[in-house]
Amino acid sequence: MKKIISIIILAIVFLSTACEENNFKIYNDGDLIQFGPEESRIYMASYNLVDTTKTYTFYYKQATVIQDTVFFDIYAIGGVSSRNRSFALKQDSVAGATNAVPGVDYIAFDDPRVKENYIIKAGAVHTRVPVILLRNAKLKTNTLTLKISTVANENFRLGEKSNIWRKIIFTDRLSQPNQWDANMTKYYIGNYSLAKYVFMIQATGDKWDDDFILTLKSDYSLMSFYTSFLKTSLIDYNNAHPTSLLKDENGVLVTFP
Amino acid sequence: MVFWSLSHNPYCKLEIITSRNKKIEKMKKYNIFMLICLSAFLHSCFNVVNDFNYLTPEVISVTGLNTSYDRISQVDSLNFTPTVSSTDQNADFEYFWGIYETNVQGYAPKLDTLCKTLSIKYRIIQPAKAWILEFGVKNKHTGYTKIVSSTINVGTKFTRGWYVLKDDGTLSDLDLFLTPTTIVPTSSIENVYSLVNGKKLDGKGLGLNFESTYKSTVTGVNANTRAMFIFTDKDASIINTNTVKEIRPFNTCFYMTPAVKAPNFMIVGSSSDYFVNNGILYGISTITNNFGIFGNAQMRDAINSPYRLSKYYLTHTNNNPVFFDETSSSFVSASGASNMLSPITNAAVTSMSANKNNKTLLYLGPKGITTFEGVAVLQDKTNPALKILSVITPSTTAFKMVNDTLLTTSKLYNAVNYTANVGDESILYFVVGSNQVWSRNLVNKFEQLQFTAPAGETITYIRHRKSTETGYAFNYVMIGTTTDSGTYNVRMFTKTAGNLTATPTITLTGSGRVTDVFYLSPSTSYLTYPNAY
Repeated sequence: MKKIISIIILAIVFLSTACEENNFKIYNDGDLIQFGPEESRIYMASYNLVDTTKTYTFYYKQATVIQDTVFFDIYAIGGVSSRNRSFALKQDSVAGATNAVPGVDYIAFDDPRVKENYIIKAGAVHTRVPVILLRNAKLKTNTLTLKISTVANENFRLGEKSNIWRKIIFTDRLSQPNQWDANMTKYYIGNYSLAKYVFMIQATGDKWDDDFILTLKSDYSLMSFYTSFLKTSLIDYNNAHPTSLLKDENGVLVTFP
Repeated sequence: MVFWSLSHNPYCKLEIITSRNKKIEKMKKYNIFMLICLSAFLHSCFNVVNDFNYLTPEVISVTGLNTSYDRISQVDSLNFTPTVSSTDQNADFEYFWGIYETNVQGYAPKLDTLCKTLSIKYRIIQPAKAWILEFGVKNKHTGYTKIVSSTINVGTKFTRGWYVLKDDGTLSDLDLFLTPTTIVPTSSIENVYSLVNGKKLDGKGLGLNFESTYKSTVTGVNANTRAMFIFTDKDASIINTNTVKEIRPFNTCFYMTPAVKAPNFMIVGSSSDYFVNNGILYGISTITNNFGIFGNAQMRDAINSPYRLSKYYLTHTNNNPVFFDETSSSFVSASGASNMLSPITNAAVTSMSANKNNKTLLYLGPKGITTFEGVAVLQDKTNPALKILSVITPSTTAFKMVNDTLLTTSKLYNAVNYTANVGDESILYFVVGSNQVWSRNLVNKFEQLQFTAPAGETITYIRHRKSTETGYAFNYVMIGTTTDSGTYNVRMFTKTAGNLTATPTITLTGSGRVTDVFYLSPSTSYLTYPNAY
């Protein structure tokens, strides 16, 4: 009998220890700052690095437009605060590229006109980071690179290494639209080149800017029409120029997938 | 036995009792353990409610409802009181009537509840198309439910009748012959196209075609629309058959309007719609979301060689269509999703190559409905005196032609207009001269005069059409003539063993020259008639 009671007690003890409260780890590693995708995509892992590099061109803007703003999304890791928290940015030089010059090609991040933009407001963990690009004559013949990264300050330490920087490639010439992404490249219009881009615009009479490509992405049959039309137009062009087939600025034959 | 013998041994008695006590002690422990186990097992058991019964299954009978009804939208009503009975003596019924639409793409159809009484009196307000009326009966006593369905073919005054495409030499229009009760018309609406749209179509009539799943936004959302395509040699128009209102004029049928406006025909193929203008093919892939707009001009090949498609073609529900490129004298195929025509490969055994055969296509039409077969008449380009009748198995990977060189003395040699006998006898009907219709048996080559037009009439049109619609079934060879006074007659003949009856069953008359006749009803789909010239 004693043995049985012992078995029952043991079983009860065993059962009572079968469950326990989950001990969730609370993040308490201080506040970090890092870039990320737009808010609607923060839980979509495939979008984590989608905004790493943005392109911009003043090409389609009126001549009176002398500056424009490119936005990135930035996040405070570690929870909200009851006070506004400023964060700091700096420009990183990119080897081999024509780097933008602060005050000439963009408004420097410590410029009093924009400094107040770089704040995570009280009660928030996200804000959009405006980078104001300046239009000048240099952009007519050059494509500039502006790489920016976060700087640790009194409010934030640096976040994930892969998300503490962003890059803008901008010009006043035609440049690859942001919507000409990997999907467009793979399935519809192939790799970007300036020669191909100019050909597409001339053949169709359309801008092929971000808005136009977004429209195509929302209408498959329209997209099919344009991709088919471009293929036909390229064949017609090459038929008309049998000794000088359309090549890009790197000497590679222009093709569509 | 061992225990018994021991128990009679006095020396062993004490030992036996001790042993017994030990066993009893063991049994007690065992019983307690079992009791605990049983109590634990009790938690894993639940009370089974036995709801089986062995009664005869209930049968609910509903009578007084047909499988289909025709109703005119905004005019007719659903007015039914079905008789309901049950094998359950204590049956206590509750009812519901609901309606939902069929042939839906792009969204899920909803069942709209109309009423919850035995009798229904409901004025049809649904747009013209086929709907399903559901009548549900639930026996509250047993919970058993029976649902009976009826097809409601909702129409307008435009959705049932014979449409005649006609022209006066420069402008085209439609006449509509109304058939409210049988296939025989009782009245007509002359020039119905211009009456509704306020304009006629430029040019001489070419043909009509119908697409029941054409995408348009006439109802406010992009959805299947019952549409008729009207072609003339100078214009084209896509109309909503519920209203005869134009959905798209020629210029908006394409993402990029062709530089030359020379419409030829529109056809429905496997998962695609096709529009041929100036001999060039434009497609819509209907397996992906689309807005009823035709895409880019398809190329002949990878170097965009020039081509011009003949007005004759073969198409089929389950196969890509077959066209004939007059420029290269080659049969070709196509897909609406492609940007290039597809080449055709010859069968191992064939009378003639499908490619570069140096022929002019005088006629190509279907030979069957369910099978993909065709019959063609070809003329040699080098020797125009050489004419060939060919029966075609139009597989794109094994294109087979069985040729029969026409004798110059045969009537078919001098034919000017043709129609295949679609899916019935193996016969080709054709027009000789201006007033005779002959037939040729494709098996034994026997030719026979079938019809001679009265003096003063010229045959402008011949077509075999048939439909199996309940109450409106027909199987006619239609012969259209134009009189010297500028009117038309369309005589519709039944046939016996391929031979036309002496007198027509129906004769449509009107003003102008007739170039196509199409019977439309609410149940007509793009599968009802083979797409053919």
